[in-house]
Amino acid sequence: MDIYCSQLGMMTQLTYCLSMNEGLPCRNVIGCWEARIDIMALLKGAFTEEELRKCFSGLPKSRLDRIMEILRAIDKEK
Amino acid sequence: MNRKILINEQDIPREWYNIQADLPNPLPPPLNPETGEPITPDMLAPILPMNLIEQEVSTERWIKIPDEVLDRLLMWRPSPLYRAYSLEKFLQTPARIYYKNEGVSPAGSHKPNTALAQAYYNKVAGVKRLTTETGAGQWGSALAFACNQFDLELKIYMVRVSYNQKPYRRIMMETWGGKCVPSPSPDTNAGRKFLEQSADHPGSLGIAISEAIEDAVTSQNTKYSLGSVLNHVLMHQTIIGLEAEKQLKMVGDYPDVVIGCAGGGSNFAGISFPFIRDKIHGKNVRVVASEPTSCPTLTKGPYVYDFGDTAQMTPLLPMYSIGHEFVPAPIHAGGLRYHGMAPLVSRLCMDGLIEARSYNQLETFGAGITFARTEGFIPAPETNHAIACVIEEAKKAKEEGREKVILMSWSGHGIIDLPSYDAYMSGKLEDYAMPDEEIQKLIRDLKRCK
Repeated sequence: MDIYCSQLGMMTQLTYCLSMNEGLPCRNVIGCWEARIDIMALLKGAFTEEELRKCFSGLPKSRLDRIMEILRAIDKEK
Repeated sequence: MNRKILINEQDIPREWYNIQADLPNPLPPPLNPETGEPITPDMLAPILPMNLIEQEVSTERWIKIPDEVLDRLLMWRPSPLYRAYSLEKFLQTPARIYYKNEGVSPAGSHKPNTALAQAYYNKVAGVKRLTTETGAGQWGSALAFACNQFDLELKIYMVRVSYNQKPYRRIMMETWGGKCVPSPSPDTNAGRKFLEQSADHPGSLGIAISEAIEDAVTSQNTKYSLGSVLNHVLMHQTIIGLEAEKQLKMVGDYPDVVIGCAGGGSNFAGISFPFIRDKIHGKNVRVVASEPTSCPTLTKGPYVYDFGDTAQMTPLLPMYSIGHEFVPAPIHAGGLRYHGMAPLVSRLCMDGLIEARSYNQLETFGAGITFARTEGFIPAPETNHAIACVIEEAKKAKEEGREKVILMSWSGHGIIDLPSYDAYMSGKLEDYAMPDEEIQKLIRDLKRCK
């Protein structure tokens, strides 16, 4: 099944949306797919509660948060 | 009356408008999520040159566009403002619809407006090389063009799945001299980590960002560049709205409503900020940000799982349950932490200076087809969100019998996005009742891959 992904700017497939985040779903997968399929049933069937919590707990990071997080990680690796 | 409203090159705006000078409620400094302390300008120094950091925090109302940048902008600017006569006729609306065509730039979108400015400021700061990430390739190609103009090296980390499927964007980047690699790449620690997991890892925008930043921080004379979200990026785009103001004045019009698509906020800011300045000073103008229902940042909060433990944030919109544990987070949770949206646009939304609407992909592609079959130009898929909103406003004007003036930013052309139009026209984007056996198979496949 195809969908237009606004992040990638191209057609992509449900399997990508469900696994692109280190084997976990994309953070936007529900908003993108809820009108088309029973995405909740899919998520609950394919992922454990712990995985769902890891993926969807808390608020998504802003771009600046993400940049600061990457800079800190690079600093730690030095 | 002319379809195209053009201003002469000598009348191009010579300053950018910085809306931070006029905000009724100033933007609070972004907070370091780990410490809760404000992020200071020096924290951005590893990735941005000081001249751009100064712009990022500036509250000066007008900032001069350097002559070297203006000289390059004149390659396609001032961009034409069109009166959409054919669309008006098709919709049988009394509304007068204007669209600012940003698809005429070398890269085919509004993105070069800031790419040129960023390349210039890096150049004068002594930077030799830039890095960036790109998903769709629109930003990567704009920056490749700009770096070529200012003789800077550029390395673009392009999400692998996009790199493989969108060769024309990659070829554009390489034509302008940019080095484009699929992400994850073997060139960074971040990339290698993912390649160890899977040699043909499809990548993600998050991985590409990590790689571009790591490269910038660990390489000599190298900085990072991004095409949206930050304040200075939005300011560089205000030339769009400033030109449109002059063009509308030439035909004696002023917009009742200004519409822009809002992904990261830069195109929306470009068309709308000069008019929001008028609104702040008492003018009666509505400003509408149009976004996808799939990834809403202004109209609805993101979905979160088991939100109970973080519910100390005050919801300003009612929450409702989807399934048992999934709820959309309150949209104003955490103040300005809209995950993908520019803080400036979020602030304006919270202050009631802009409205936001969302449209699903079927509506937006339908709107794009209507536009292409009336006005001729094929819009970029994100531009279609603005067009969907314009059509809605024009139909409303018809119902009300009002001569409304609608201004829209036509942010880019869709010539390199034709596969998505093909998918729409062949019915691949339609809603689909997935049979249970197909769901179970997908679940089994996913579990096997873990």
